[in-house]
Amino acid sequence: MSVLLNVENLTMRFGGLVAIDDLSMTARQGEITAIIGPNGAGKTTFFNCLTGFYKPTQGRITLTPPGGDEWPLQSMQGFRIAKKARVARTFQNIRLFAGMTVLENLLVAQHNKLMAASVFSLAGLLGLKSYSRAETEAVEKARQWLVRIGLEKSADIPAGSLPYGAQRRLEIARAMCTDPVLLCLDEPAAGLNPKESLELNDLLLDIRKNNGIGLLLIEHDMSVVMRISDHVVVLDYGARIADGTPEQVRHDPAVIRAYLGADEDEPLPPAVARDLGEA
Amino acid sequence: MAPRIPLPHALKDSALAALVAALLALPMLGFRLADSEQGLQLETRLSWVPIAAAIVFAGRFLLILVAPLMPRRGGKPSLATASTRRPLLIGLALAAAAILLPVTPFGDRNILDKATLVLIYVMLGWGLNIVVGLAGLLVLGYVAFYAVGAYSYAILSQAFGLSFWQCLPISGAMAAIFGLLVGFPVLRLRGDYLAIVTLGFGEILRVVLLNWASLTGGPNGISGIARPTFFGLPMVANSPGHTTFHDFFNLPFSPTQRVTFLYYVILALALLTNLISLRIRRLPIGRAWEALREDEIACRSLGINPTTTKLSAFALGTMFAGFAGCFFATRQGFISPESFTFLESAVILAIVVLGGMGSQTGVVLAAVLLVGLPEGFRELQQYRMVAFGGAMVLIMLWRPKGLLAGRAPTISLNREEAA
Repeated sequence: MSVLLNVENLTMRFGGLVAIDDLSMTARQGEITAIIGPNGAGKTTFFNCLTGFYKPTQGRITLTPPGGDEWPLQSMQGFRIAKKARVARTFQNIRLFAGMTVLENLLVAQHNKLMAASVFSLAGLLGLKSYSRAETEAVEKARQWLVRIGLEKSADIPAGSLPYGAQRRLEIARAMCTDPVLLCLDEPAAGLNPKESLELNDLLLDIRKNNGIGLLLIEHDMSVVMRISDHVVVLDYGARIADGTPEQVRHDPAVIRAYLGADEDEPLPPAVARDLGEA
Repeated sequence: MAPRIPLPHALKDSALAALVAALLALPMLGFRLADSEQGLQLETRLSWVPIAAAIVFAGRFLLILVAPLMPRRGGKPSLATASTRRPLLIGLALAAAAILLPVTPFGDRNILDKATLVLIYVMLGWGLNIVVGLAGLLVLGYVAFYAVGAYSYAILSQAFGLSFWQCLPISGAMAAIFGLLVGFPVLRLRGDYLAIVTLGFGEILRVVLLNWASLTGGPNGISGIARPTFFGLPMVANSPGHTTFHDFFNLPFSPTQRVTFLYYVILALALLTNLISLRIRRLPIGRAWEALREDEIACRSLGINPTTTKLSAFALGTMFAGFAGCFFATRQGFISPESFTFLESAVILAIVVLGGMGSQTGVVLAAVLLVGLPEGFRELQQYRMVAFGGAMVLIMLWRPKGLLAGRAPTISLNREEAA
């Protein structure tokens, strides 16, 4: 599969703190790329650079979707990255429009398409056919996603009153309604019980298979990372310390050291080595 | 089964309330200064005090008895069960009542005049509701845009002799342009900061109006502003060289005709504001406003441009203020900076907040309460403002989220399927 996202020498400094230190990595179309690392390793900062919430101090982030366009994400404004380059994301602490209904959340995600159809709201105000057709299509798309995440019965209740796991799934569906080429998920399994975690795995694998987009995944839950990732990048103190398949990363001594804080020479305790192997 | 009412508790509570009432009533009702031949004299009317206490006792007692029987209303509006049909019916009934008001026996000149004033505030409330209720932008200087509309009409009609109907769109456009100019730099601010900056803008504009005497007439204002015409027919007793309204329709002249006409003009303007805001709420731009109010960061991640989206809400809201201002100028015939003080902004914001943010019918109710009642109870003289304050406290106690809080979904999947 072709390279979708190419990050070259990305650095992000906040005053004297180097949150991301000369990071280079790639993510491919149709693959799930997991980014793992201890707390404070710079994973969310990386996402914020990628989706335009932060302006990187240095480096280049290039998105190359299959159509042949090339988007320099490091110099684009946040909403333009989502609108033009079509990078969607979810948040570590869920950011749904809590007071609006589930369906409305999915329609807001299709804002740009609907705005174009409503022609500066004029066609919409006058109730023209072209707009109502676009709206029906948008609702149909939202309905299909609701079926996919098992929430079609809850379409008309406020998003904030959904159970936690359902809110996580809805946030993913909302991001997918923007028709992204790259979906960035910030800890989607955080706070989910094992059953919900498994459902999430299925959903993400389903998105990879049926939508063929690239997925970037920050996750602490190793049962998710190891089962579904095609490729794992490990960060520590803002730098990449390992990169490879889940199997390769699992046995990488640098990764084990970063997670467990062992000395350079000290061998890993056998119990820890076994746990890591089983994860 | 009716819940048991603790009688001794009710009696004790009512007695306490009556005591407080008596203490308050003693200075407020028990004594009054009377103007007599010997100068001011203190008159006592102590008999009023026990009457006041008795009224409060009875009221409190009844309230305690009735309260458990009333359905409990939680702070959270139940969106899921909110029916979309009922508000529509209530709205239509209110609109019909407003249209028929001049032909009912209540529709005398005095009532119509007051209703016109209330409708101006209803329109301003609906306009501000777009900005505050939908887009969640707390604006404290809304009256500035009302002033822009009023002065636009006054100046254009005096300088170029433009008519009300020509100036109405210009006033709206001027207010919207001012909204864009002010909004562009300040809309990156949020919440309290935005409130302070818009408050400042409102005051700056008022001071400019006061001091730019060559254009605005300074504190003297602008008088003799042209009245609106009925498709070119002036509504005056006689107008040399023009066919007047009553001549054309072969009616006897009556000043009530103009009052009624003004009433219908503002009613039409207000209903237009209402229709557009109801409709736009169901469009993508309206949903984006509400989404911005809920979470701006999430909006950006979905590709919504926060700046243009906020600006569009601001421009639309201020445009309606401009229309209302234009109407205000033509109704009064005289405007001065006095009419555009911060208090006006505060009243309009209070109408939106007390009505229940985002609720169209709530705005009407609150405007009637806040503008209509103080006008209606002028006979109460100085107690008028006490009643006003009391009403506000009561609303905040009983309905902390506003009179008609609760949000109706803009679209529903099940209805869509049925259609």
